[in-house]
Amino acid sequence: MSEVNLGDAPFTMTIDGKRVEARPGEMVLAAAKRAGIAIPTLCEHKAVESFGSCRLCMVEVTKAAWKGWKGLMTACLYPAAPDLIIETQSERVLHVRRNVLDLLLARCPDSTLIQRLAAEHGVQQTSFSVREQPDLCILCGLCVRICESAATSAISTVKRGHHREIGTPWGGPPPACIGCLACAHVCPTGHITFEEHGATRAIWGRSFELQRCAECGAPLPITVEQASFLVERQALDASYFSRCESCQRRATAQTFGRLARWQKLGLTQEPDARQEGGKR
Amino acid sequence: MAETAQARFASVEAFLRHAALLKTSPEATQRRVLVCLGTGCMASGAREVAAALERALAALPAERRVALNLCMKKTGCHGFCEKGPLVVLWPEATFYKGVKPKDVPELVERGIVGGEVIERLLYVDPKTGKPVEKYGAIDFYARQTRIAMRNIGLMDPANLDDYLLRDGYQALAKVLAGWSPEQVLKEIEQAKLRGRGGGGFDAGRKWRSCKSAKGTPRYLICNGDEGDPGAFMDRSLMEGDPHGVIEGMAIAAFALETREGTIYVRQEYPLAVEHLERAIADARARGLLGERILGTDFSFDIQIARGGGAFVCGESSALMRSVEGKVGEPRAKYVHATDKGLWDKPTVLNNVETFVNVPRIVEKGAAWYASIGTARSKGTKAFALTGKVKNTGLVEVEMGTSLREIIFGAGGGMLVDGPKGAFKAVQTGGPSGGCLPESLLDLPVDFDSLTDAGSMMGSGGMIVMDHSTCMVDVARYFLSFLTDESCGKCVPCREGLYQMYRILSRIAEGQGTEADLAKIEDLSQAVAVGSLCALGKSGPTPVLSTLRYFRHEYEAHIKEKRCPAGVCKALITYSIDTSACDGCGACLAACASDAITGTPKKGETFQINTLQCDKCGACAAVCKRGAVAIS
Amino acid sequence: MSAQSQPQFPPVDLAATEAILARYAAEPKHLISVLQDLQLHYRYLPREALERVGAALGVPLAKVYGVATFYKAFSLTPRGEKILRVCTGTACHIRGAPLILSELQSRLKIAAGETTPDLRFSLEAVNCVGACALAPVVMENDTAHGNLSVTKVRRLVRSGAAGSRGRGSAELPRPDDSPAKKAEESEES
Ligand SMILES: Cc1cc2nc3c(=O)[nH]c(=O)nc-3n(C[C@H](O)[C@H](O)[C@H](O)COP(=O)(O)O)c2cc1C
Ligand code: SF4
Ligand code: FES
Ligand code: FES
Repeated sequence: MSEVNLGDAPFTMTIDGKRVEARPGEMVLAAAKRAGIAIPTLCEHKAVESFGSCRLCMVEVTKAAWKGWKGLMTACLYPAAPDLIIETQSERVLHVRRNVLDLLLARCPDSTLIQRLAAEHGVQQTSFSVREQPDLCILCGLCVRICESAATSAISTVKRGHHREIGTPWGGPPPACIGCLACAHVCPTGHITFEEHGATRAIWGRSFELQRCAECGAPLPITVEQASFLVERQALDASYFSRCESCQRRATAQTFGRLARWQKLGLTQEPDARQEGGKR
Repeated sequence: MAETAQARFASVEAFLRHAALLKTSPEATQRRVLVCLGTGCMASGAREVAAALERALAALPAERRVALNLCMKKTGCHGFCEKGPLVVLWPEATFYKGVKPKDVPELVERGIVGGEVIERLLYVDPKTGKPVEKYGAIDFYARQTRIAMRNIGLMDPANLDDYLLRDGYQALAKVLAGWSPEQVLKEIEQAKLRGRGGGGFDAGRKWRSCKSAKGTPRYLICNGDEGDPGAFMDRSLMEGDPHGVIEGMAIAAFALETREGTIYVRQEYPLAVEHLERAIADARARGLLGERILGTDFSFDIQIARGGGAFVCGESSALMRSVEGKVGEPRAKYVHATDKGLWDKPTVLNNVETFVNVPRIVEKGAAWYASIGTARSKGTKAFALTGKVKNTGLVEVEMGTSLREIIFGAGGGMLVDGPKGAFKAVQTGGPSGGCLPESLLDLPVDFDSLTDAGSMMGSGGMIVMDHSTCMVDVARYFLSFLTDESCGKCVPCREGLYQMYRILSRIAEGQGTEADLAKIEDLSQAVAVGSLCALGKSGPTPVLSTLRYFRHEYEAHIKEKRCPAGVCKALITYSIDTSACDGCGACLAACASDAITGTPKKGETFQINTLQCDKCGACAAVCKRGAVAIS
Repeated sequence: MSAQSQPQFPPVDLAATEAILARYAAEPKHLISVLQDLQLHYRYLPREALERVGAALGVPLAKVYGVATFYKAFSLTPRGEKILRVCTGTACHIRGAPLILSELQSRLKIAAGETTPDLRFSLEAVNCVGACALAPVVMENDTAHGNLSVTKVRRLVRSGAAGSRGRGSAELPRPDDSPAKKAEESEES
């Protein structure tokens, strides 16, 4: 999010009675993490911008100048500032956290992640009505955000309010999907699933051919669509994903081997490995 | 009156000359037949009345017309929608209500040409039973102080010259004639104008912080989303005085030194869009908007953004996302919109009514404005008074006026006689507000007192409820509204309000327990502090306020399995009181579930088959003899 | 939406989509305005049109779909020629909107949010239409009807079913078993 202009010098704040160093522009959550203070989160991920939707990271914030007023703020979005006094375990904080987890447990009773977090906060069982036909989606929105920032925005949030869900256009296979699995990997509860058999990968109701190794023909962990996306849209060099890992390793080993031989022969000039690879 | 065809005002002086000239023109002295074409009156057939009037006036012999020096104006909402269609003769201020096309010949012949008063079309004071002739003598209007709504109903909103005749754009001209932006800022600060969109945030302070934020361009937005159900002040302002909104924005833009303004109008208000578009075009054509306004260095223009039908888009950050063409999801406010708003640029967003107050402040001075109202809430506030009161409509009163004065003064008291019709509660602040009981009727209405009482000013909806309204049902109604209208981004609001709704539904169905009340209060706290935006944060207010003041009603549902108001379907049964029934059969035709049996012709009485009855209440609504009993 | 009331999708003429797109600069910020115009023209948002709009404005299709499902003004299935919007705002709620809604539902034999199979009526429950002083209110397309009673509602349905004012209503065949007709009959009995 935005940088708060505080100059560049690090400063200190207090978290749970501890002096903690923070840097201008960072959020309270980052500073706490560095200081080894754990704040639970569900919708935050280093690969995407903070979003503030799960409300689990709420902490109680005050300053001496605020005359006793304390506010509950999401640590993932609240900019660190000098002299903040932060509590991560106050009664109000825990009350919100417990309720959030209780609510999520009613939404996703089968999620082991939610079960564990809830249990850690003393919630063994939800005290609310369990959703009919529950799934594992907690609507943290990480999948949508990662797809937007790292891939093609093939999925989105659909509808609103209590009917909100993560979905694809018209519920069908998303035309823009490149099968990169970013969404599945980032999903904290395992709601987004995929399958891989031989050289095909299936996700979101679509099936993708995997890119094959230019040398041995083995399937690479990347789809054809993904490869062309990376080349065309992210301007990566196609050579990054033309070989499988073992062929790549072998090629590297050979290069180094040759290099060593050359060096032994007292030659200082490096042979052009790329050219050699290209010849084959 | 082809005002659009007239030229741009090349300078402030040229504008002032024209305005002065207008006032001495024949038009200024014309007698006016003001026909309300607000949405309310239109729904009651005002369009047909206006057409009939137009025809009848046109049919008068030419010399008569000239002698009468008459013009007809289609105006915005007079505010007294319930009594529509309304026709007012001006300047004599004769007020005719409930005018039908068939009344028009008499109205023209006797009323307009003959100068008589047509008694049967007059408003009858419910207290005295006597007809009232003059507009200003009617309680509903007499008890109002109109600043924001000063022009509505008295002019044609589509006519720029009409606005000029009512001193329109004088404030803008005054500012452009020599004020500095700083001077305008100071004036608004000193007037202590607080935002009318709900939060009551100090407008001057908002403008100031935007102005001191880094980054350009700055943006100005007018919030015309008016999503609170039961509120329609902004609608009537945008429809009935669009130039007032534009002038207020232009002055704000001058203070903020910004060139771009947007009015975000609710999707359900097509007429507001139409009038605003017309007014913007007219103002542009006359050099009151656009490049080099009135020949000065100040340039400013306005575009209209139509909402998509989402209550949450009234929330400032969601609104800005919507203007950007995205879904209306709020953002955390740790960085203010005045720093990073629309397109991440410093932005000021104010409510329609807030802007409309601006020209008046500039014109009459901050000191004048600050002399009206209470210590911390200055000026007036427009309310949409609806529900079970006699006079429903728009009421603008000085801040600090008591609820009683509004409801029983301007509002004329309760609609229905008898114990069922007695006052029970007034709901203010829409889905973010609460229900206040009789004991608080003397509460002076301003931003802080309502908040302290556990409700909220909100944008100005004021819904009066009598004993046929169930408070559990009202709370449940708001929760069902909010679960639908929440954007669904954050957990406490999306899941929490939904669970609150489930609990309240249980209670309404007679399945509630006392533990449910404790649960709902506990959850309310978490939702109120845990939600991301004010929709979720204030979402529990309707529940908390009804729990605070009407807990006994919840308890009746829980302990006695009884709905005292006779609303909650699961707890009531319908039956026919055979002694009152005259066998007319209206209920039979009304029932969609075929639950009513019996053939009175054969000497049988009507019966309601309780198994078949889905308790829709249609029979009770049609029965003229009140023979359908609810227990 | 129940399967039986799922209306048929008429074929989509994309020329209108192009004409609408031509009114706006090809920027993502105009998405909602374009969708509004599309909705007005087609009475729903056809998939083909949204695909074209996404490509033209540079908005990913999933985002277009997200916006189209977020805002209540938009519908992904064809709406009826007459849209009856029952106000369920607070003022209307306490003055009997639930009754009006249930009356319309049973007369039209569709639930709120649905469209009759003959595409004659859509029924919607909306929040305050801003005519609260006349509660309860039903909007028939852009016309407000206030102070409604069960009887007035029935009249509304009947006048709509006669198809006298509706745009293009003449071309639509009127099945004899249309719910509106049935309602009419049952009333006469
Ligand atoms: C859910 C929600 C809905 C809102 N709806 C409106 C609205 O319809 N109109 C409005 O002016 N303000 C509305 N607001 C308040 C705005 O966020 C904002 O505070 C206001 O428009 C600022 O203008 P003001 O300072 O002039 O009042 C809403 C706020 C929330 C949280
Ligand atoms: S509080 Fe409700 S409306 Fe506001 S961001 Fe959260 S889910 Fe959306
Ligand atoms: S991690 Fe901060 S709100 Fe989810
Ligand atoms: S509540 Fe129905 S029109 Fe406002």
